[in-house]
Amino acid sequence: MSALAQARPIARRLPRIRPRTRPVEFGLLAIVTLALLVGGASLGATEQWLRAQAGGEKLGAFGFAPPDPRGLGVYLGALLVVHVAFVLAGRRTDQILLPAVAMLGGIGLLLMQRLPQDLVTQSLGSVELRLGQLQLLWLIISLTVVSLLALLVRSDHWLRAYKYTWAAAGITLLAMTFVFGTDVNGERLTLTIGPVSGQPSELLKVILVVFLAAYLSENRSLLAEESTRIGPLRLPPIPYLAPMVAMWAIALGVVVVQGDLGAALLFFAVFLALLFVATGRLSFVVGGMVLFLVGSFVLYQLFGHVQQRVDNWLDPFRDPLGSGFQTVQALYAFARGGLLGVGLGAGLPTIGGHLPVPAVHTDYPLAALGEELGLMGLLAIFGLYLVIVERGLRIAAAAQDEFRALLAAGLSLVIGIQAFIIAAGNLKLVPLTGITLPFISYGGSSLLANAIAVGLLLALSDRGAVPPPPPRRRRWHGLFRRGTVR
Amino acid sequence: MDGFVLALWVLRLLFLGLIYVFLFAVARVLVRDLRSAARGPAELGRLVVLASPRGEPAPGVFYPLDAVTTLGRDLTNTVVVDDPFASTEHAVLTFRGRAWYVEDRGSTNGTYVNGVLAAGPTALGFGDQIQIGEVRFRLERGRT
Repeated sequence: MSALAQARPIARRLPRIRPRTRPVEFGLLAIVTLALLVGGASLGATEQWLRAQAGGEKLGAFGFAPPDPRGLGVYLGALLVVHVAFVLAGRRTDQILLPAVAMLGGIGLLLMQRLPQDLVTQSLGSVELRLGQLQLLWLIISLTVVSLLALLVRSDHWLRAYKYTWAAAGITLLAMTFVFGTDVNGERLTLTIGPVSGQPSELLKVILVVFLAAYLSENRSLLAEESTRIGPLRLPPIPYLAPMVAMWAIALGVVVVQGDLGAALLFFAVFLALLFVATGRLSFVVGGMVLFLVGSFVLYQLFGHVQQRVDNWLDPFRDPLGSGFQTVQALYAFARGGLLGVGLGAGLPTIGGHLPVPAVHTDYPLAALGEELGLMGLLAIFGLYLVIVERGLRIAAAAQDEFRALLAAGLSLVIGIQAFIIAAGNLKLVPLTGITLPFISYGGSSLLANAIAVGLLLALSDRGAVPPPPPRRRRWHGLFRRGTVR
Repeated sequence: MDGFVLALWVLRLLFLGLIYVFLFAVARVLVRDLRSAARGPAELGRLVVLASPRGEPAPGVFYPLDAVTTLGRDLTNTVVVDDPFASTEHAVLTFRGRAWYVEDRGSTNGTYVNGVLAAGPTALGFGDQIQIGEVRFRLERGRT
C-alpha cells in the first residue's frame, strides 16, 4: 500500500461504530450490583425473620433470598444490557452517570418491593401489576429511554432550533391537564390520554430547561448588559428579557393555579440558577429571591392549601392526627432510624392495618429510607445526588458551546434542586411540597422525565459528537425579533 | 437463631458499607478527572528529540503537539530545528481524526520516517522516528 493511499481524506467519513470498553462504568456497575444483591438479601432475610417471629415459630433454615429475586435480577440484567450497548456503540460518553442513577433506581426498587404491594395496582390486560413490579416496569422503560438518547442523539439542532415549539408544546400539555385532567388527591395534575396517564409538569421541567438554555445562550451577551433603568434598578434590554419571563410566568402561573406548588418552586429555582449560570450576575439571584418572598407571601394570603402547608411546617404537632399526621409520622420515622437505621424491611410497622405515612411511595420515600437505613444511608443517598450534579456541571464545563453548557448545567441542577426540595420538605426544613424524589419515588412520569434528563446529559458528554452549529446572526427588530438568518 | 440475627446485622451494615464503597470509588474517579482537567487539555502526542548534533533543540527535550505542528529552521515554526540541513519550512505534523501524519513541505533534503524518505503524507504510529536534517525525533503518546 502506498503512502498516498494511506493518507486518504478522512474528514467526511461517517462516524464509524467501533466498540470501546468502559472500564470505569463496568467497575462501578459491579459495585452497584453487589450492593443491591446484599440489600435484597438483607431485605428478604429481615422479612422472613419478622414473619417467623410474628408466627411464633422457630426458623428452620437461614433464608437470604430477596423478596422478588426475579424482579431484582431483571433490573440488574437490564443494567448490564445498557452497559453492553454503550460499549458496542463506542461513544465516549460519561461513565459515572449511569452507575449513580442505577444505584438510586435500585434503592428505589428495593424500597418499592418492600412496601405493601397493594399501595398501587394496575391491570395490564389480564396481568395485574403491583407496586414493585410497576416500579420495575417504569425503571426498565426509563433505562431504555436513557440508552436510546445516549446512543442516538448526536446533534442538538432539534432542540435548539425549535425552542419556541418545545415551549408551546409544554404549555399546551399543561393547559390540557388543567382542562381535561383528572383529580388525584384533590390536585389536578394527571392527564390521561387513552391508556397513558402522566403528570405533564414533570415533563415540563425538562422542556423549560431546554427552552431557557436555548434562549439564554442566544441572548447571553445582551442579558448581561444593563440598558434599561427603572429607578435604581438596572435591567437588561426589555425586548430580550420579555419572552423568557413570559414563558416562565406562564409555566409558573398554570402550575400555581393547579396547586402544584412543588413544581412551581422547582421552576423558579431552576430559572434563577440558569440565569445566574448564563450571566454570572448575583443581582439577578438576589432580585429573584426578593420576588420569591413577595410571591410566597401573596400565595400564602390567597390559597388555603398554602396556608395549611406552612402551618404544618411551623407546628405539625398542633394537629398530630389530622393535617400534621404525615409530617409527624415522618419525623418519628427519621427518629426511629437513628444513625444506622433499623435495617431494610424492619421499619414502618403498620398501625391498625394502615401505613403511618400514606404517601410513602411518592412524596415520603426518604422517611422510609431514613428509618431503615438511618442517617448514614440518607447521607449516602444525598451523596449520590451530589455526584449526578457534579457530573452535569463537569459536562457543562467541558461543553463546546454555550447552549450545551447551559443545557447540561440546567438538566443536572433540575435533578439536584428537585431532590433538595423534597428532601428538605420531608425533613421539615422547608414546607412540604408534593414532588417526587428523583429516581427513587414511585411514578412513571417522574422516572421518565429524569431519564430524559440523564439521557441528554450522556449525549452531551460525548466529546466526539457533531460539533455545534455556528452561532446565528442576530438583528435588532424592536419587540419582535423576526428573520433570524442561519 | 442468634447466628441468623448476627448475619442479618452484618448484611445490613454491608449494604450501607457498599453504598459508601460505591461513593468512594466514584469520588476517586472524580478527583482524578478534576486533577487532569486542571492540568489542561490532554495532549494528542509529544515529540521527543533523540539526537541533535548542534544542540538546538537539545536532545531529550520534548514538545507537546497540537493538531498541526510545523517543523523547520524558520522562527515561525512550532518546533524550530536549527540545523544546516533543515529547510526554513521543512515538514508538518498533523493529527487527522485518529492518526498522526507527517508531510514534507518541499524541503531540500527531505524528511525521513524510520530512515525511509517520506513521499507525500505518511501515517505515523507512536514510537516512529522522524529525521529532519541531522535531528532525529520520536513521536510518543501524550499524557492523557
